[in-house]
Amino acid sequence: MMRFVPLALYAAALAAYVWHFAVRHAAVGRAATTLLVAGAFAHTFLIGMQTMEFGHVPFASPTSAISTFVWLLALAYLYTEMTTDERAMGALILLLIVALQSIPTLQPGVEERAAVLESPLFGVHVSSLLFAYASFALACVIGITYVLLFKEIKAKHLGFFYARLPSLQVLDSMNQRAIVVGWVFLTIGLVVGAVWASQAPTTDPRVQAMQVQDPKIFVALVCWAVYSFEVFAARRIGWGGRRTAYLSAVGFAIVLLNFVPISYFLTRSHNF
Amino acid sequence: MHLLLIGVSHRTAPIELRERFDFQTRGVEGALRALAARDAAREAVVLSTCNRAELYAACDERDAGRQDLVRFLAEYHGVGVDLVAPHLYELADLDAARHLFRVAAGLDSLVVGEPQILGQVKAAHSAAAAAETSGPLLNRLFHASFGAGKRVRSETGLGSGAVSISFAAVSLARKIFGDLTDRSVVVVGAGEMGKLTARHMKAQGAHHVTIVSRSMAHAARTAEAIGGASAAPWDDLDAALGGGDIVITATGAAAPILTKARIEATMRSRRNRPLFIIDIAVPRDVEAAAGEIEQVFLYNIDDLQATVRENLARRAGEVAHAESIVGEEVEKFALWVRSRGAVPTIVALRQHFESVRHAELERLLKLSSLPAEARERVDDITRLIVEKLLLTPTEQLKSVGDQEIVGAYHEALTHLFGLGAHPRPAGPADVEPERPKVVDGSFNRTTRR
Repeated sequence: MMRFVPLALYAAALAAYVWHFAVRHAAVGRAATTLLVAGAFAHTFLIGMQTMEFGHVPFASPTSAISTFVWLLALAYLYTEMTTDERAMGALILLLIVALQSIPTLQPGVEERAAVLESPLFGVHVSSLLFAYASFALACVIGITYVLLFKEIKAKHLGFFYARLPSLQVLDSMNQRAIVVGWVFLTIGLVVGAVWASQAPTTDPRVQAMQVQDPKIFVALVCWAVYSFEVFAARRIGWGGRRTAYLSAVGFAIVLLNFVPISYFLTRSHNF
Repeated sequence: MHLLLIGVSHRTAPIELRERFDFQTRGVEGALRALAARDAAREAVVLSTCNRAELYAACDERDAGRQDLVRFLAEYHGVGVDLVAPHLYELADLDAARHLFRVAAGLDSLVVGEPQILGQVKAAHSAAAAAETSGPLLNRLFHASFGAGKRVRSETGLGSGAVSISFAAVSLARKIFGDLTDRSVVVVGAGEMGKLTARHMKAQGAHHVTIVSRSMAHAARTAEAIGGASAAPWDDLDAALGGGDIVITATGAAAPILTKARIEATMRSRRNRPLFIIDIAVPRDVEAAAGEIEQVFLYNIDDLQATVRENLARRAGEVAHAESIVGEEVEKFALWVRSRGAVPTIVALRQHFESVRHAELERLLKLSSLPAEARERVDDITRLIVEKLLLTPTEQLKSVGDQEIVGAYHEALTHLFGLGAHPRPAGPADVEPERPKVVDGSFNRTTRR
């Protein structure tokens, strides 16, 4: 029963964030944040319980990894909200959180850990990647709001988003920061994963499949290429603002693709 | 006790007349003191802005008070009563309260929703508080008006959106660049509008303003007029564009100066950093097609005017909501006023209890020779007992809103306790007897801060 609590609180927070976005009452905004904090607390408790039950943080199965990812995303968003005092992104982030959290809530996966995963490197690998993905999710949502505002200003039709979103400059730098943080963790996650795979006993067929041709690994490398371009090259060739915002959305679409369908159906190397 | 308001505003009087009723030139304090020296008003606040001069007063007699206020206004400004009368509005009690709430909310302003008026209302009250001409009724009224003003501001869009061209430009710049502190402004041409907009940008913190004009002397003069700006020769226009973030064009040129190709070239040199171009010249200085460039935001005078119109329309659409908030706040204030109807009864009841206590205390002290310390203790304890006994009845009486029920209570209490012996105090604004901290009624909150 406990596993429904975070989802219910997140859903309530989503409703409150949407309401706040529409009416802009300070009290509604505070209520939204309170609900999200409560949801994150309940989620922390749930993950803590599962950690005690399994003896490790539950992220070895794709389903529980989603739950942990959602938890990190909620925390990352709360951090952003508290440091910038900006709730405009909340509605979109919570939409993503609720959509993703319903997967582990409605279809809890069996958390069993294969012997090959008994390595501290595996923990670093997964947690870095989940954190990177949470950052990219934030960057994506910030990017989408950037584009919405950009279009309003460009079209000289100052309305709904103009009144509710922070400035383009603020959105752009928030996006940039989220991308850089995500890229650092993505890089750590991939490098540690490669090191770990090279050390793991090759008797396991899944370890044998850990090559660039494996869809999960291949798509992860594509992600890394996309975000590396965004971090290092985009602005130098004059790809500021809207183009990098679009790129963040594309990058996160690839992340999601890798995270949900590929994990479930296609990969041979990462189906633990 | 009545709340009275008389005043003139932009709605009732032309500027020539409003000027004569301005209290600020001679200082509001003097007016407050002069008003307090007359007998009619027990409490007074003067609200004086460029669009209105209003006197708020608490008077015992409605008609006499009103007449005296009108006389005061005319005499103080040396204007004949006959001249003032046609332009005056006079409101009493809840109508006066509603008027002040609407004023504080910006509903009565020339530009609906303008933000300064709330601060001016606050200043008017602080001045009266400092001059000690404000009392329980006006303190409560003004604090309630601050609440109404704040609610309207936060719960409606009445104050949102810029309603002048130059502020619309500044607000757009802030939406694009956020903080303007490290942004550079380039003004091309040296017209009045360009100067004004540049001044606004500077006031918002823009760190550098460059004036580019065909005549270097003209550019230098304009730069000096803005203050802290620099002038650049016409040939440096491209370089200035490369370094600027906000460009204001206002030349008298017949053909566009900034073509799409020219701006595209500068965009390359500035690595596509956003460029906000405000073209306030007619005929236009910037080719319309330049707005298609990815990171260029081009607004001409009509675009800005359109956003101003949209904002005004949006504000007009919020009026009904704002009025309903004002209505709610007036209701709340009315409830408080009605609860004050019970004050004479409360005062009489307290006086009765207190006199019994005093009589008994004196008798006790006469009969026995208590040491001073014990006397004090007895005094304290008996006072505490009286306070505690009266706490609930006091609160209950204050919470009664209906005047008839208040009357019934008054009769019953007078009968039960024989309160007739004490004269019934004159009105609800009478200050209650001092009470120890045990009792925390709503009255304590109304006293001046």
